[in-house]
Amino acid sequence: MPILPRPKLSSEAEIPTASMADIAFLLIIFFMTSTVFMRDKGLKLVLPEKTDQIVTIGGERVIRVSINDQGDIFLEEEAVTPLDLKDKLTQRILDYKAKHEGKDPLVIIRTNVEAPYERMIDVFDIIKQIPEARAVSLASIKTGG
Amino acid sequence: MRLRQKVSTRTNIPTASMSDIAFLLLLFFLVSTKFRKEIGFKVLLPEARATERIIKTENLARVYVNSKGQISVDDFLVLPEGVSTRFKLKVLENPGIIAYIKADKHVKYDYVDQILEALRDAKALRVIFATEFKKG
Repeated sequence: MPILPRPKLSSEAEIPTASMADIAFLLIIFFMTSTVFMRDKGLKLVLPEKTDQIVTIGGERVIRVSINDQGDIFLEEEAVTPLDLKDKLTQRILDYKAKHEGKDPLVIIRTNVEAPYERMIDVFDIIKQIPEARAVSLASIKTGG
Repeated sequence: MRLRQKVSTRTNIPTASMSDIAFLLLLFFLVSTKFRKEIGFKVLLPEARATERIIKTENLARVYVNSKGQISVDDFLVLPEGVSTRFKLKVLENPGIIAYIKADKHVKYDYVDQILEALRDAKALRVIFATEFKKG
């Protein structure tokens, strides 16, 4: 049986690259839309260092803002609303500064352990908005203790 | 008067380098995308007007507290004392570490207080309370 030589097909192998850009752009769009930018944001605070030394601070230098277990806010002994707190606290800080040659008083937020965390942040937020309040510290109150 | 000869030129946009540009962009996005290390908890953050953006996020170590009072660090459920041991290691690795506390707004302050105490024990003194921007 004679084998006939097949006619050679002169075809060059080619990869179609015309749609490559489309594929790439599709991938870009997918990544752009699926990327969620997690912006970290919050309120900064530096904790006091733990030392064995007991530092006593003059009673007048400390301004106490307390939150009870119900979430009520007190400036020293006086019950205040979050709206009042800013003005009253600013006034107190300014009074202290005027009396003590510009020394910064220490604002302490005393939160009852039963109070919601949100309340503490509300108060902390208000104090952060007062530029005069430079020294802020956190403390907790344990009920019955 | 001389009339100009019409030159018939075909305008075409070169599309050969289009895929190169596209892949370049693709690589940029792939490289610059950072994936979060841990899953953490889904928490409802409190809102605050004084919220600041944190630009440097490399030093952040996240502590999650959900509304049930469970605490998660590096996707491990820990007790408040566990926070201290974990952060002690973190402080050794990176002294400039910042604890980023993501606590649910309805959680009792007790849990947050215990975490703060644990962080003080571990000498991780820089803390950020995660909040959302408050509108109005």
